[in-house]
Amino acid sequence: MKMTIAAKKRLEGYTFILPGFIYILVVLGYPLVYNVILAFRNVNVKTFKSGTDVFVGLQNFIDLFHDPTFLMVFKNTFVFTIGCLVFQFTIGFVFALFFSKKFTLAGPIRGMILVGYMMPMSVSALLGKNMFDVSSGVINDLFMKLHLIQQPAEWLLKGNTAMAAIIAVNCWVGIPFNMLLLTSGLTGISQDVYESAEVDGATPLQKFLHITLPLMKPAIASVLMLGFIYTFKAFDLQFVMTSGGPLNATDVLGTYSYTLSFTQYEFSKGSAAAIVLFCCLFIVGLFYLRMISKEDD
Amino acid sequence: MKKRMAMIAALAAALMSTGMIAYAADTADIGEPNGGTEIELWHYFEHEADALNAVCKQYNESQSEIYVVPTFVSREELMKQYTIGAVSGELPDIGMVDSPDMASYISLGVFEDITSYLEGWEDIDQFYAGPLSSCKDSEGNLYGLPNNSNCLAILCNMELLKAAGYEEPPKTIEEFKEICEATTDAANGVYGFAMCAIGNEEGTFQFIPWLYGAGATVASVNSEEGIAAFETLGELIENGWMSKEVVNWGQGDALNAWAAGKAAMLESGTWQIANLDGDLKDTVTWEYKYTEIPASANGAQATVIGGENFGVCAGAENVEACVDFLKFMQTAESNAEWCEIAGKLPVRADAVGLKDFWTADERYKVFNDSMDFAVARGPHESWPTISEALYTAEQAVLLGEKDAATAVADAAAVIDPILAEVPLP
Repeated sequence: MKMTIAAKKRLEGYTFILPGFIYILVVLGYPLVYNVILAFRNVNVKTFKSGTDVFVGLQNFIDLFHDPTFLMVFKNTFVFTIGCLVFQFTIGFVFALFFSKKFTLAGPIRGMILVGYMMPMSVSALLGKNMFDVSSGVINDLFMKLHLIQQPAEWLLKGNTAMAAIIAVNCWVGIPFNMLLLTSGLTGISQDVYESAEVDGATPLQKFLHITLPLMKPAIASVLMLGFIYTFKAFDLQFVMTSGGPLNATDVLGTYSYTLSFTQYEFSKGSAAAIVLFCCLFIVGLFYLRMISKEDD
Repeated sequence: MKKRMAMIAALAAALMSTGMIAYAADTADIGEPNGGTEIELWHYFEHEADALNAVCKQYNESQSEIYVVPTFVSREELMKQYTIGAVSGELPDIGMVDSPDMASYISLGVFEDITSYLEGWEDIDQFYAGPLSSCKDSEGNLYGLPNNSNCLAILCNMELLKAAGYEEPPKTIEEFKEICEATTDAANGVYGFAMCAIGNEEGTFQFIPWLYGAGATVASVNSEEGIAAFETLGELIENGWMSKEVVNWGQGDALNAWAAGKAAMLESGTWQIANLDGDLKDTVTWEYKYTEIPASANGAQATVIGGENFGVCAGAENVEACVDFLKFMQTAESNAEWCEIAGKLPVRADAVGLKDFWTADERYKVFNDSMDFAVARGPHESWPTISEALYTAEQAVLLGEKDAATAVADAAAVIDPILAEVPLP
């Protein structure tokens, strides 16, 4: 049987996408499908070995959304993500604008800021844990010396301050990341546009609002979307710095799902929590893809 | 640019070489390969690793059929690997496990039933019932052997106690509170007492003696005595005799605080004597004494059993060889020898008589005597959930988030249904 040229071309195309397709199927597809199956059954320490687990439908999800701890964790995840995004984006953008100017030592200083981003998250978390320590932490020491506080603050012992501390450490890592991506966006804007605006008498603020911001829109959207995805699925920072404490005040979906599966052996509930995490990111991902395709059009 | 790349490369090389040095330092002396079947053993012993390697070496050199290779895996990672291994089947031949966790892993199918391999082995009668029960399932089948025991006591900085006018460690809970108050020096950041109340099994481990000492048990946590146990610890924080930071302290952190002179008394484990004789030898220059954990008027003296077990993992190719090694490791002589080097308590009655350091050394004697009234955690397949309920309640009280009665009621709401289904032994 002879193949038409079109069929040959089509086959060739499929051959090219085959490795990628197999990769996605094995590395992403299998665990995802397995996770979904687990989330709809009741696999736990009692049923695992005996294989007596049964299909329970949405029961695990219903249980989770009736569990006050999970609701708190769900809220924490959004507070943490939005808190981090606001600070790391704003400061990252300021740094990107600042370091786009040519001045002495601009390069080395920008390089030094990147240290936070290059450091493994677990190391940053350990540093954060020590820095925010009540009795021997450098933050309390500094604040006391500056007379900002009279008594050592119990940073990691109270819910709100622990969340603030963890957001601060994440920003230390996130700011360089935002700065890097936004800098590359800034370098893409032609200097001619600014020069023309200057000729027309535009002020620096006008240039920023009417040239930089509109032209940076795709870069800003990417930074925010990627930032949301990276921050929302955070795990190691909370795991090392606070273990999700005090009393789940810094627990997020990633750490909570881990605790359910690996500490309490509630595999199905852990999977259900992971599915909730996945769904949130999936929705954000869809927005991102839609936005990109609109811009392409 | 080239210069920058060179710097990055140099940094990477430095990091890699650091890693290589760390790896080289980890290479242990376990005897030359004897040509026998290789048995992989995973453990999380740190300062005790040399003692374990010595046992493996002795075994590897005593025969040529089996070659045991011990590998260190951090506790957290090892526990994760067991859970993953239960699904994937990727498990070592022999695995070490913290005794209260063993019941859950038996339920998950991580360990192999070795009851038939131990039939006729008379030595089994010499093992203490408490540690041995943690290696059994609800039907009494054995999945491993206990390796060592430890328990908790109060470690006192006698210099601080004497300065406050106390010549001897506390004997009663009232005296304990008095000393806590007298030794607290808020101006210098010195607290009367330090313990570990972290949100994990370590936190529960350190809480159990206070619960039983108040006259309650895990099953009767929702009782006046149970509430009193939480209140006793809450009171220490309220009065400023114990730092709130204990909720973030592991047992090592609490010891470090005591060793830094920041606490007069510490809830301390048997294994920490080895720290005092080792890395803390030059730091702890003051006189110190151990004493049993004081009980309240309503309760009996109590402490808690800790320790590690070694189990044969499911899917091990040569179960008989694994059991043979476990038997060798746990003979009375090996157990006594090993515990002396590692600073632990034996799990066999006939091992205690072989050495005198558990009775001759006053420090170990306190722990050895405490074993008479030490209580075990579980064994229960849902112990991690029970444990979480306990440490969460403890943290809520210590942080002032809940009063003791509410915290206890919340803990009981989790624990009681579990125990109604499968009671504690």
